[in-house]
Amino acid sequence: MIKITNLEKFYRTEEVETIALNKLSMEVKKGEFVAIMGPSGCGKSTLLNILGLLDDPDGGSYLFNDIEVADFNERKRADLRKHNIGFVFQSFNLIDELTVFENVELPLIYTGVPAAERVKRVEAVLDKMQIMHRRNHYPQQLSGGQQQRVAIARAVVNNPKLILADEPTGNLDSSNGNDVMELLTDLNEQGTTIIMVTHSEHDARYSHRIIRLLDGQTVMENIMI
Amino acid sequence: MLKNYIKIAWRSLWKNKVFSGINISGLSVGMAACIMIMLFVFYEKSFDNFHTKNIYRLNEVQKFPGMVASQKVGLSMYPMGPAIKTEFPEIKNFTRVKWANKFQATYGDKKLFLPQVFFVDSTFLKMFDFKLISGDRFSALEKPNTVVLTEETAKKLFGDENPIGKTITHYGGDTTSYAVTGILQNVPKNSQMQFDGLFSFRTIYKPWMNSWGGNWLDTYFEIDPKANTAALEKKFPDFLKKHMQGGDGWKYYELFILPLKDIHANAEDIGLDYLNFQKFDKNATNLFAIIAIIVLIIACINFMNLSTARSAERAKEVGIRKSIGAQRFQLSLQFLGETVLLSLIALVFALIIVMCTLPYVNELSQRDISQPLFHNAGFMLAIIGGTVLVGILSGIYPAIFLSSYQPVKVLKGSVETGKNKGNFRNILVVGQFASAVFLMIATIFVVKQLRFMQQKDPGFTRDQIVTIPLDNSARKHYDLLKQELLGNSVIAGVTGAQDQLGSHLDQSGVNFRYGNEPQRQLAVTQLIVDNNYLKLYNIKLAAGNDFSTDKSAIGKQYIVNEALAKELLKDLPHVKPESLIGKQFGYDSLGTIVGIAKNFNFNSLHYKIETMFISNHSDWGLSQMSVKIKAGKQAEAVAFIQSTWKSVNPDQPFEYKFLDDHFAEVYRADNQVSKIVGILAGLAILISCLGLFGLASYSAEKRIKEIGVRKVLGASVQNIVLLLSGHFVKLVLIANVIAWPLAWYAMNKWLQSYAYKIEISWFTFVFVALLSVFIALVTISFQSIKAAIANPVKSLRSE
Repeated sequence: MIKITNLEKFYRTEEVETIALNKLSMEVKKGEFVAIMGPSGCGKSTLLNILGLLDDPDGGSYLFNDIEVADFNERKRADLRKHNIGFVFQSFNLIDELTVFENVELPLIYTGVPAAERVKRVEAVLDKMQIMHRRNHYPQQLSGGQQQRVAIARAVVNNPKLILADEPTGNLDSSNGNDVMELLTDLNEQGTTIIMVTHSEHDARYSHRIIRLLDGQTVMENIMI
Repeated sequence: MLKNYIKIAWRSLWKNKVFSGINISGLSVGMAACIMIMLFVFYEKSFDNFHTKNIYRLNEVQKFPGMVASQKVGLSMYPMGPAIKTEFPEIKNFTRVKWANKFQATYGDKKLFLPQVFFVDSTFLKMFDFKLISGDRFSALEKPNTVVLTEETAKKLFGDENPIGKTITHYGGDTTSYAVTGILQNVPKNSQMQFDGLFSFRTIYKPWMNSWGGNWLDTYFEIDPKANTAALEKKFPDFLKKHMQGGDGWKYYELFILPLKDIHANAEDIGLDYLNFQKFDKNATNLFAIIAIIVLIIACINFMNLSTARSAERAKEVGIRKSIGAQRFQLSLQFLGETVLLSLIALVFALIIVMCTLPYVNELSQRDISQPLFHNAGFMLAIIGGTVLVGILSGIYPAIFLSSYQPVKVLKGSVETGKNKGNFRNILVVGQFASAVFLMIATIFVVKQLRFMQQKDPGFTRDQIVTIPLDNSARKHYDLLKQELLGNSVIAGVTGAQDQLGSHLDQSGVNFRYGNEPQRQLAVTQLIVDNNYLKLYNIKLAAGNDFSTDKSAIGKQYIVNEALAKELLKDLPHVKPESLIGKQFGYDSLGTIVGIAKNFNFNSLHYKIETMFISNHSDWGLSQMSVKIKAGKQAEAVAFIQSTWKSVNPDQPFEYKFLDDHFAEVYRADNQVSKIVGILAGLAILISCLGLFGLASYSAEKRIKEIGVRKVLGASVQNIVLLLSGHFVKLVLIANVIAWPLAWYAMNKWLQSYAYKIEISWFTFVFVALLSVFIALVTISFQSIKAAIANPVKSLRSE
């Protein structure tokens, strides 16, 4: 599903150039659950942003379902993103002015799903995430665990082929964290490919494979059994 | 999607009540000002629009020997209309209008004084589209002794009876009867011609009217729309030469035509323009429109400033929306939608403000400008369209700016609210305040000039003087009324004249001979007065004597003003003005100059003092009585004058006006301009301050941690207030520096239209600078002090 080859990303300031990704190559198959680990500044989040088409690489190739997307413009990237990719962030990133229902509904609005269909799908996913009873609440009225459930619901409501999770349990206590990991595992078992950046060895154990990065390069791959 | 945008826009507005409040109130006030001015402009543009024919008025430029400067007048001569129509085929029709005020009309035992009636040629109703309710437009005024009345006049005279065919009588020197042949709808208020009835000109025709030289009526032409009017005007000098034979008379005139629809707003420099109701210079109207748009732009700038200042708070939402697939144009649309929604909300408030203030504005402008607001769908659509446009224009920068955020960066929390964006905001604030300062300076000079004109010593006394118009009948009893009035101690003096000071006075031809020098003929402004006129008005003499009280001297004595004395002696440079005393001067060879009056401003201060003579030909009839009353006895004196009038002129209505009020009327347009500019300047300052308040509170909020740290490190409240205010004060000072030269230039240009004007003093500029800094400081200080006295522990802990 994903194949990157010699991917490069630099951050430049006036005086310093930092290499975030250094000719990184990797492949993720459809249905895989991959964890990316490494110390701060090793390029994990940069990689995730490029995979999620939120950022451009400075060099190398990125094939998404065998299509070269590294040179896509913003409009094409947004289009590919909304149909194929769901995001889960450490800090949930819900829109404060929208209710739980409306937050989850948002991706469906951008993909042009009719209103009646949207209600059905949002309700189904909220039900699945066991957050239906909070559908009319605003994010500030929810606990961290509940907010992350909403964020996951929003990530999956469009049935994306790929979910990118950036430290999804980073802001949660262990009990809520485990719940979130269980949810991601369930989604993976139903066929969604998941790539997750994490600092937590515990969370990484939920994945099939751990890719360890250092200075923008792969240093080790562990296959989980 | 739209629903989602509206929802989020509404909630975002609600969540940030202070900022939304500032934006909406600023925009509402700006829009209200704009709508009001639009209504005014709309009304002004509607003047005389209901006429469908291509009508022009004939005007003259007069430059008689003896006049300081040439003058444009709206008057023309009786024979000009038919002669021009005969000689120039492009003229399709003509009509002449002679007006009469307080025209007495009687039907049975009902006697009315109609405020203004017109004597017109029968073609009047064929050319002008005043609506006829009954009667035939083409024949109603064909015959002599016919009249077409307005609905209101007919109602007053005939009640519910059918007026057609009835006869009304005008009693006077020449009692005349008129048969009613038509009824007109009341004349619309946006017509330059205001009348209560149209009387056939043929009724009052006298052979003397056919002479060339007397300008006492208005002439209108219907011209072929394809005609070249400039070419037509070029033929007028030859036309005049042909008709004004004998002497150089034709040289003193130039003729020009002015489209009917231009007369209301484009005849500022035309004098003796008697039929131009509510004449108002289009430059002033345009000035209002420009200022109103500036006020609106200032309000829009508030919006841009506060939106970009708050951009960091919206950045996260942009990142999230982009990460789940929103495209940039969708986000731009969303933000534009928010500003449009906000503008529409502001429009609702603006309309409420307009409704509440319309009565005041109607009174100030002396017009009912509200019409389009309730009866013109196009106007309302234009307002709504304009509002959407305002929303788009003020939202476009924030929309582009906000939608450009990189989701990666904003979700990471590293939003660049960089220096450039701050600079842009600074430029906008400077722009706002520069406009406000400009308007403040302009207002001060406009008000100062107006006060100067009203307070400058005109060279005569105008306090405590009541003027009473005298019609043909009342003037016969002038002497009796004067005697009766002088019998009461509250009356300090009574005099009379043919005209009122503070108005355009007529010119008259006079002869002058200095000793054995050749006789000169001049046309000079004339004032015919009772012999005690100068004394009552306290007009000082530079040389010679006042008029004699001897009855045999009536019509033989003349007093010239200093300007005329100078003109009379222009070929005799070494002769002293006093030597004019006793020289032959006047309408005939019997008169002499008895005195030289010091120059006085008999007209408004827009105009330079013209050459003028005063004649004691009171036997020709006086049309104005001036009664000087004792200070503090106004009510008593007016009551006494009224009762005396009733006993002397039982059939004539009593009307009076204080001369002060007459002069206030002379400066009415100036007064309206100064008030409207002042109000708009006030609004500009208010809206700018609202924006500054918003930015200051935002800035204090953003720097709360810095303030906390500074306080922990020992900064005093004053230090913090200075820190927060200094930046804004600097911006306001820069705005002043930008506004000064612009204001100086504009004011210099504006003051050029006045013959007597104030000096532009540097003090005003410094004063406005101090005032603007003071206003800005007061605005900011609330937020600065609030931030400075907050407990630093709180702000640091919350971090």
